[in-house]
Amino acid sequence: MPSNYRPPAVLALFLDPQKLLDAVKTVKEKGYRGLDAYTPYPVHGLPEALGLKISWMPRVTKTAFFVGATLGFTFEAWTMAWAWPLNIAGKPFVSVPAYMPVTFESGILIAGISTFIAVMIAARLRPAPDFHNIDASITNDRFGLYVPVRPYESGNVQTLLKELGAEEVRDLA
Amino acid sequence: MALTVDPPLYRADLTLTQVNKDITAAIFRRPNAYWFVGMCISLSCLCIGAVVVWIQLHVGMGLLGLKRPGMWGTYIVDFVFWVGIAHAGTLISAILFLFRQRWRTAINRSAEAMTIFAVMCAGLFPLLHIGRTLIAYWLIPYPNSRHLWVNFRSPLIWDVFAVSTYTIISLLFWYQGMIPDLATVRDMHPKPFARKVYGIFSQRWKGTARDWHHYEAAYGLFAAIATPLVLSVHSVVSSDFAVSSVPGWHDTIFPPYFVAGAIFSGFAMVITVLTVVRKAFNLEDYLTIDHMELMAKIILATSMIVSYGYIVEVFMAWYSENPVENHVYIWIRFFGPYLWAGWTITFCNCIAPLIFWFRFARRNMVILFITSIIINIGMWFERYVIIVTSLSQDFIPTNWRYFAPTIYDVGTFIGSLGLFFTMFMLFARFVPVIAISEVKSVLRNPVGEPAALEKTHA
Repeated sequence: MPSNYRPPAVLALFLDPQKLLDAVKTVKEKGYRGLDAYTPYPVHGLPEALGLKISWMPRVTKTAFFVGATLGFTFEAWTMAWAWPLNIAGKPFVSVPAYMPVTFESGILIAGISTFIAVMIAARLRPAPDFHNIDASITNDRFGLYVPVRPYESGNVQTLLKELGAEEVRDLA
Repeated sequence: MALTVDPPLYRADLTLTQVNKDITAAIFRRPNAYWFVGMCISLSCLCIGAVVVWIQLHVGMGLLGLKRPGMWGTYIVDFVFWVGIAHAGTLISAILFLFRQRWRTAINRSAEAMTIFAVMCAGLFPLLHIGRTLIAYWLIPYPNSRHLWVNFRSPLIWDVFAVSTYTIISLLFWYQGMIPDLATVRDMHPKPFARKVYGIFSQRWKGTARDWHHYEAAYGLFAAIATPLVLSVHSVVSSDFAVSSVPGWHDTIFPPYFVAGAIFSGFAMVITVLTVVRKAFNLEDYLTIDHMELMAKIILATSMIVSYGYIVEVFMAWYSENPVENHVYIWIRFFGPYLWAGWTITFCNCIAPLIFWFRFARRNMVILFITSIIINIGMWFERYVIIVTSLSQDFIPTNWRYFAPTIYDVGTFIGSLGLFFTMFMLFARFVPVIAISEVKSVLRNPVGEPAALEKTHA
């Protein structure tokens, strides 16, 4: 739900990703926490600069692949050998080589769908017809730095960010 | 080799804003005459296909050229052809990503779109070919009152799983890659209603470092699972033939040979389509001649693999001294009733692509376009040769019959071409045909690696 309350923060827009990276470093050194950046494309080195942990996506994919493959194999064996064993051309009921393609495809299918859902959850994605981004130029050519501040610090932080080369600085209180 | 070349990709003076403007231009302005002409032609083809399919559903399978012993005809040819076309898209988006080929950024979006539309066309043919299309859902294993399950030991059911998994994964991969670009269109669009529509599809994309972090990890993972997937899909398709005991099909070389052929035909189709797209939407700065040259090199490489496959098939037949194999591989295909088809594929797939040994041919749009069409034709006939010739002379010589397609075979294929190009024209009109955020990252970061890779490997 859209809420009118926004924690006090300062948004600085840069034209150069390198300046953004430097600014992240400086602002962090000054002791500000909870920084976030808005970029038009993934900037190399930014997650490290912000101190983001390794993404948990790979664990989702890996787990889902093995779960899917196990389910696929079990289902094949259950239908072919237990629910209604049919002798087809004398092939063994549990024929591991013949089961492999479907086992593999089930693993991939579940892994792919789970990864997609995990991204939706991690990036909090959902259909939003009336969504307005924090600044429309983020998807164009601006690199935004978001600094949560205490209300009385806002002025100082704005001056600091301007000194660091921000094109535009805005108070988001 | 194609995979190690690193050309300067884009004009040095391109800015991020300019990239936004150029790539989304097709969405904001009225489409030009090329687009309308193309749309008219594709829609007409689609209508022809719809009428033919309707008649065929109404009257029955007898309208097709299927006569004993050739009970698999052009529908299966069309199926394999379209699945093959689809593979280039996944190769570009997944395999070239894992190989860190930065030039893929300009072509991956449209190639992935081609994948999805080609798989849609491919899926159509088995559904019609089973004859009783109304009960096509019996292919899905679900608990039913007959207490019967599908036969998981048959390659035909592997195919159902492989192709449907492939469709779903390609669609998710394509859509996930598109979300940031749809957000770009959302933020640029002047019309409120269109903003809402793009807002729904761009899923509240904000572009924060955290979002990109997860997004990139997931992108790498999708590439990692799509790579074995794409290799498995055409291997499974080839198993439809290779697992049987029909001479001409029963061949261990089939899986790698089919995969190489798929990539070969797919890249030809990518060149065919992008030649038109770059002209119609003025995207020559993004789909540069260097991109075309790199694709021509991949075509050349895969053409060599396919030619090797042809030679091995014939050699094995001759060397085995097996009269049946000799009859199928050498006599029927190259000297007997189907000699025209055998020599057509030799020319189209082995000889014509050799022109790409020359640099001028790789950098000439006219030669590229014509050669890509020749390859498309050649690869359709390759499947025709494999499927039709092997069946037309079976183990009982009194049954032998020359396969002749009817107008209904042709009409359905034209319909599938119409479906493919109609979908592609709509795609080019409403979605950025080039991955904007990926082009931007290459533009500003000319020596850097895609950041996703390190994280996925970590």
